[in-house]
Amino acid sequence: MSVVEDRRRVALRINVLQWGAVAVFATLAIAFWFLQVVQNAKYEEMAENNHQRTLAWRAPRGVLYDRDGTVLVENRNSFTISIVREHSKNLEHTIALLASVAHLDPQALQQIVDRHRSEPSYRPIVVVEDATLAQVAAIIARRLDTELPDVIVDEVPARKYPEQSMAAHLFGYVGEANDQQVAAGVPSGALVGQQGIEKAYNDLLMGQDGARVVVVNSVGRKISTLEEQPPTEGRRLKLTIDHDVQRAIEEGFDSIGFDGAAVVLDPSNGEVLGFTSRPAYDPNAFAAGIDRATWNALTTDEDLPLQNRALQGRFSPGSTFKMAVALAGLEEGVITPDFKVHCAGHANFYGHDFKCWRFSRGGHGTIDLRHAIEQSCDVYFYTVANMVGVDNINKWATLLGLGVKSNIDLPNEVIGLVPSTEWKRLHTKEKKWYAGETISVGIGQGAVSVTPISMAVYMATLANGGTRVTPHLIKAVDDGNGWKPVPTPEPQSKIDIKPDALQAIHDGMWMAVNAAGTGGSARITGKDVSGKTGTAQVISNAGRAAAGKHIEKLKDNGWFVFFAPRDNPEIAGVVFLEHGIHGGNAAMVTHHILDTFFAKKEGRPLPPPPTLKANTSESN
Amino acid sequence: MFERRLHFHIDWAMLIAVMALCFIGLANIYSATGGPTGIYVTQIYGIILGLVALAICLAIDYRTLADKSHFVYAGVVLLLVYVLFLGVVRGGSRRWIDLGPMNLQPSEFAKAALALVLAKFFADSRRSGISRGDMLIAGAVTVVPLVLIARQPDLGTAVTLIPVLFAGAFVAGMPMRIFGILALVGVLVAPVAWKFALKDYQKERISTFLDPSQDAKGAGYQQIQARITVGSGGPWGKGFQKGTQGQLRFLPVAHNDFIFSVQAEEHGFAGVLVALGLYLFVILRALEAAALAKDRLGSFLVLGVLASFTFQVVYNITMSAGLAPVKGLTLPLMSYGGSSMIATLAGFGLILNVRMRRFTN
Repeated sequence: MSVVEDRRRVALRINVLQWGAVAVFATLAIAFWFLQVVQNAKYEEMAENNHQRTLAWRAPRGVLYDRDGTVLVENRNSFTISIVREHSKNLEHTIALLASVAHLDPQALQQIVDRHRSEPSYRPIVVVEDATLAQVAAIIARRLDTELPDVIVDEVPARKYPEQSMAAHLFGYVGEANDQQVAAGVPSGALVGQQGIEKAYNDLLMGQDGARVVVVNSVGRKISTLEEQPPTEGRRLKLTIDHDVQRAIEEGFDSIGFDGAAVVLDPSNGEVLGFTSRPAYDPNAFAAGIDRATWNALTTDEDLPLQNRALQGRFSPGSTFKMAVALAGLEEGVITPDFKVHCAGHANFYGHDFKCWRFSRGGHGTIDLRHAIEQSCDVYFYTVANMVGVDNINKWATLLGLGVKSNIDLPNEVIGLVPSTEWKRLHTKEKKWYAGETISVGIGQGAVSVTPISMAVYMATLANGGTRVTPHLIKAVDDGNGWKPVPTPEPQSKIDIKPDALQAIHDGMWMAVNAAGTGGSARITGKDVSGKTGTAQVISNAGRAAAGKHIEKLKDNGWFVFFAPRDNPEIAGVVFLEHGIHGGNAAMVTHHILDTFFAKKEGRPLPPPPTLKANTSESN
Repeated sequence: MFERRLHFHIDWAMLIAVMALCFIGLANIYSATGGPTGIYVTQIYGIILGLVALAICLAIDYRTLADKSHFVYAGVVLLLVYVLFLGVVRGGSRRWIDLGPMNLQPSEFAKAALALVLAKFFADSRRSGISRGDMLIAGAVTVVPLVLIARQPDLGTAVTLIPVLFAGAFVAGMPMRIFGILALVGVLVAPVAWKFALKDYQKERISTFLDPSQDAKGAGYQQIQARITVGSGGPWGKGFQKGTQGQLRFLPVAHNDFIFSVQAEEHGFAGVLVALGLYLFVILRALEAAALAKDRLGSFLVLGVLASFTFQVVYNITMSAGLAPVKGLTLPLMSYGGSSMIATLAGFGLILNVRMRRFTN
C-alpha cells in the first residue's frame, strides 16, 4: 500500500471521527435540553422539595389575666423533639439512638411513630414534648455529627400556669387534639383546650399557627430562612376572677385541710370572683403533653382530682336549703315572717317522728322565721315545708337557681335536683309522691342534691333580691386593639321578691353569723356578713354506726353559703367542704375570703394566710 | 530545539478554548466549595504546573519524545507498581504518591504515556493495515498499565486506556470486523464479569443506574440528585453560587466528579451549551491536527491522547446529568485534581506539538 493511500485512509477515518464527535455532542446537547428545558419544572420542584422545608410555627395561646390585669396563665418556651421520616435513612436506628441519648423508652417512641404512620412523611412527628435541656443538648450534639438527620428540635410556646394547681379546674388544661377535634377541623397534633376556660374559649385562645419556609442542606440542617409567616397569638382574655380572692380561697382550703369546692360571685352581675375545686391537679403537667404515669395516677386516684366538684359534684345541701323553703312559704302566702312554730326537739308528721338537731337539748321552743334561720330549727322548716308542699318548694328553689344549670361558661356542668311530684312521676319507679317525703326536703335532705355553682347562684339571687344572674368568667377580650368589654350575659330568670320576705331571710342569715347562729366564725366587724351553715349527712346515722364512725368518706359534708354586706351585697358565694364534718368549718374558710375581699376593697393590707383549726367534733 | 518561527504555528484558538474550559472549571470549583478555599488554590497551582508541562511537551519535538516513549512508558509502569504497594490510601483505594505538598496520581499520566508508545508502535508498523500479531502486542502494552490501575482499584481510570488502543487501531486500519468480534465477546463476557470480576459496589452502581429509585437514599441517590441538579438549572441557571443542589451538598463531590452538574445548575442550558461547544471545538481542532499531521506518528499520537480525553469528557458529562452509572471519573480540564490537570494539559502540549511541527522536517 502506498503512502498516499495510507494517508487517504487515515484522513477518511479521521473524518468519520469528526462526524462522530459532532453527533455525540449533539446528542448530549439534546439530552440536556430535554432535562433543563422540557422537564425543568419537574426538576425545579424536586430541587425545592430537597432544600426547602415548611415548618410549623406554633402560635402562643392567649394569656389570661385577672380582673386587675394580674397574669394568671401565660406561655413559656419549651422544646419539642420530632422525627421527620422523610429524612430517615434508617428509622429503627434513629429510634434506638434517640432513645439511648435522650433516655427514652424505644417502644414508646415506636408507638408514637406508628400512631402517625399514615400521615405524610414530611410532617414532623413530635415524640417528646417539653424536652429537658439535657435531652436537647444530647440530640443537637448528635445532629451535628449527622447521626440523626431526621430528628429536629423545635422551640415552641407551652402553657404555663404560674401558680400550679390554683384554680386548676377553672383554667382547665390543654392537650393534643383528639380524633373528634381533628375531624372538626383542628390540625392534627395541635394543642387545644380540653377542660375549663382553655376548652370553653379555645377558639379565642388558640390563635393562628404560622409557618417558616427554611432552606436546609443535604443533612437537614437549617441554613437560612426564606419566608416567614409569623403566628397570630391567641386572644388575651381578662377574666372576672380576682386573683386575691382566688388566692384567699386556696389559702383557706390549704389551711382547713379538706377537699371541696368554692364559688364566689359578684351578686349584681354574676361575675365569678373566685372558683376552686379540691383536690386539684397541676395543669402544667398537661401543658406539653402529659405522660402516661401522671395521667394514670390522676384518673385512678379515688379522690377524683380531675372532677370539677364545683360544677360536677352533687351533694345534699342540708340546712343551707332552708332559705329556699322559707321563700316558698313567704311568697306563696303560707307564712309571714312572724309565723311561729313551737319546737320541742321533734315533731310528728304522717305517723313518723322527725327530730330537730337540737333534740337532745329539748328543742328551740317557740320561734319565728328569723330565729328559725338563725338557729337552723328543723321542726320549723318541717312545718313550713309540709304547709307549702313540695311543688312550691321546687318552684321557688328553681327561681333561686337550685336544681337547674347555672349556665356558667365552662364545659360539663351537671344539673342538681330539687324534687317535685312531676319529677317523681316521670323519673322514679314508685311514681307517687308521699307527703312524708316533703318533710325531709324541708331541711335539704331526701332527694335534694345541688352543685356548688348552683348554690353560689342561689346566694347571689337572694342577695340581689331575685335576679338569677348567669355566672360568667370573661370580663374583656383583647382583639388586638385593646380590651373590649364582654357584655354581661342575660340573667337566667328574674323575680321581685317581696321586700318583707327578703328582709326576713336576710335578717335570719345575718343573725346566723352575727348573733346566736352557727356561722359565727365568718363574722367580720362592720361588714354584716350574712350566711348559713349546712351540715349534710352522706349516709344515714344507722349506716354510719354500722360502718364505723371515723371512716373519712362517711363524714358529713360541711356547707357555708353567704353574702355580704347584708344591705347592698357586693359578694356572694359558697364554700363546700367534702367530709368537712361541720358547716362551721366552711364558715372559717369564708371568713378569710371575705376578709381578703374587703381588705382589698378598702386598700388595707391583705390578711396573711390563715391558720384554721377545724372543728372535728361530730355533732351539730 | 525550539526552532525559530515555530510558535507561529501554535494553534492559539485551541489553546484559548482549553484555557477557557480550565477557567469555567475553576469558577465552578470556587462556587461549589464556597469560595477561595484550599481546593480552589490547589487547582490554580495545578493549572500553572499543567501549563509548564504543556510548554515542555510542546518544546520537545514529538518525534524525539516518541523515540524515548518506551522509557516514558516503563517509568509510568514502575510508578504504578510503586503505587500499588506504597501508595497513599484514600477512600479505600491506593492511587497516590505522597510528594509532600501534593499527591501525584500516576494513573493520570499513564494515558499520555500509552498514547505515545502506541503511536510509536503503530507508526513503525510499515505494513498495510495492522496484523493480528500487532494487535496482540498493542493489546498487551495496554493491558499492563490497565491491570495495574484496575488493581488500585480504579476501574474508571483503567477503562479510559482502552479508547487509546482502539483509536490507534481504528485509524491504523484495523478491519471493522474485529471491532464487531470484540463487541460480541464483550456481550458474552459481561455476565461472567458481572458474576466474578466486579466488586459489590460496582455491581450496585450499575443496578441502581438501571433503576435509581430502588435505592433512593443509597447508591441511586447520587444519580437522582445529579439529574435534579441539572434539570432544576433550567434554560438560564440559578446564578453563580446560587445553586441549591451544589451549595447545600445534595450533590456529592460537586467540585470533582459532578463539576459539570454545577455548571448546568448555576448557568443553565446556556452554560451547558457554552461548555459543550468548547469541548467539541477542542476535539474537532485536535482531529484536524491529526489530519494535518506531517506523519503517521503525529496522527496516532494526537488520536491516542484525544481518545481518552474524549471518552472521559463524554462519559463524565453523561454521568453528570444522571444518564450513566456513577463512576469515579473526572471531567478533564474542569474537575478538581492536580494530577489530572497536569496530565491533560501535557497531553494538549503533545497535540499542539504535532500541529505546530506539521511543516518541519
